[in-house]
Amino acid sequence: MNRATSVVILVLLAGLGIGVTYFVQHASEPRISAQQRLIDSRTLLDLLTPDSYDNQPLDQPLVLENIRLPNSTLLGGYLATKASQPSAVLLRSQTLGYEGSIELLIAIGANGKLLGVKTLKQSETPALGGKIADWPNTWLQVFTGKSRNDPGDTGWALKKDQGQFDQIAGATITSRAVISAVHDALRFFDEHPQQLIGSSAHE
Amino acid sequence: MNKTSTLRNALMLAPLIGATEAWLTALGLWLMFFVVINAYDVSMAALRSRLIPSTRLLASILLAATLTSCAELAAQVGSLQWHQHAGIYAGLIALQCVVLEHNGFFQEPRLDRLRLCGLFGALMVGLGLVRELIGNSGLHFATLVPGGFILLGLLIAAWQAWHRPTPSH
Repeated sequence: MNRATSVVILVLLAGLGIGVTYFVQHASEPRISAQQRLIDSRTLLDLLTPDSYDNQPLDQPLVLENIRLPNSTLLGGYLATKASQPSAVLLRSQTLGYEGSIELLIAIGANGKLLGVKTLKQSETPALGGKIADWPNTWLQVFTGKSRNDPGDTGWALKKDQGQFDQIAGATITSRAVISAVHDALRFFDEHPQQLIGSSAHE
Repeated sequence: MNKTSTLRNALMLAPLIGATEAWLTALGLWLMFFVVINAYDVSMAALRSRLIPSTRLLASILLAATLTSCAELAAQVGSLQWHQHAGIYAGLIALQCVVLEHNGFFQEPRLDRLRLCGLFGALMVGLGLVRELIGNSGLHFATLVPGGFILLGLLIAAWQAWHRPTPSH
C-alpha cells in the first residue's frame, strides 16, 4: 500500500458514492413522491365524506396566499367538487396558540356550514392544548354544522368570554385561538363566495 | 467500560429514546442499523488493507454516508410514514459507523459484535414494546420522550438492583 493507491481509491470511492446515491435517489423519487401525495391526501381529505366529492381536491388549489384575517392567516385552500358543482372548500388557516403557531384545516360546505376542523400542525402543551392534535377529536367536532351567523358574532367565543363554546380544560389560549380562526374562516367564506366557489359554479 | 465504548454507547442513546415510541418503529430502525453496519463491514474489510492509515477516516466517512443515504432512500420507498417518524435517527447510523470504525469495533470477534447488535436490538424493541403497552393502557406520558427517559432510568435501576450481590454474613 502506498500513498498514490490510497488517493486513487479515495477518489474512486467518492465518485462511486456520489454516483450510487444519485442513481438511487433518481430511481426512488417517483415512488417517494407518490407516497407523499397519498399521505397528504389521506390527512387532508378525511374531513370530507368520500361521496361528497368526485374530483381530486389537492389538484384544485384555490388562489389564496397569506390572506390576513383579524385573528388568523389563510395559507391556502382546495376546492372539492361533485359533478362539476362545488361541494366544499378546504381552508388551511394559521393562528397563534399558547406555545406557537397552530395550523388548522377547516372544511366548509357550499352552504356555508362547517363540515369539520382538523389540526395539521401544533406545538401546544402535551395533554393540555396539545389535545387539539387528537384525531378524531370530540372538542373540534362541536363546531361541525355551525356557520358564520349560527351562532352570532358574540356566540363565537368561549363560555368564559360570554360565548357558547366550552374550552379544553387548562388550555384557554389554545381554545380561544382555534375558535377565532374557525370563525375567521367562516366569515371569509361568507364574504367571498365568488372567490372560493363562484367561478367554478358556472362551469 | 473504556472511554471509546462510552462514546459508542452514548450514540445509541438518541435512537433508543427517540425511535422507541412504538416497537415497529424501533424494529425498523434496528434493522436498518444492522443492514448498514454489515454492508459497511464487508466493504470496509475489502478497502482497509489497501489504504494508508491517514486516509482511512475519509474513506470511512464516504462509505458510511453513501450506505446510510441509500438505506434512507430505500426506507422512504418502503414506508415514508416510518421515515417521517424515525428518519432523523437513521441519519445517525452513519456517525455510528465512523465511531465504531474509530474504536476498532470491526476488529473485534464476530460473535462479540453480533452480541452487541443483538443486545441493542433487543433493548430497542423491548423498550418500544413497554412504552407502547403503557401508552395504550392510558398513561400517554410513556410515549413522549421524557417518559422514555424515565422508563429507561427505571429499567437500569431495576437491572442494577437485580444484579447487586446480596450481602453475605
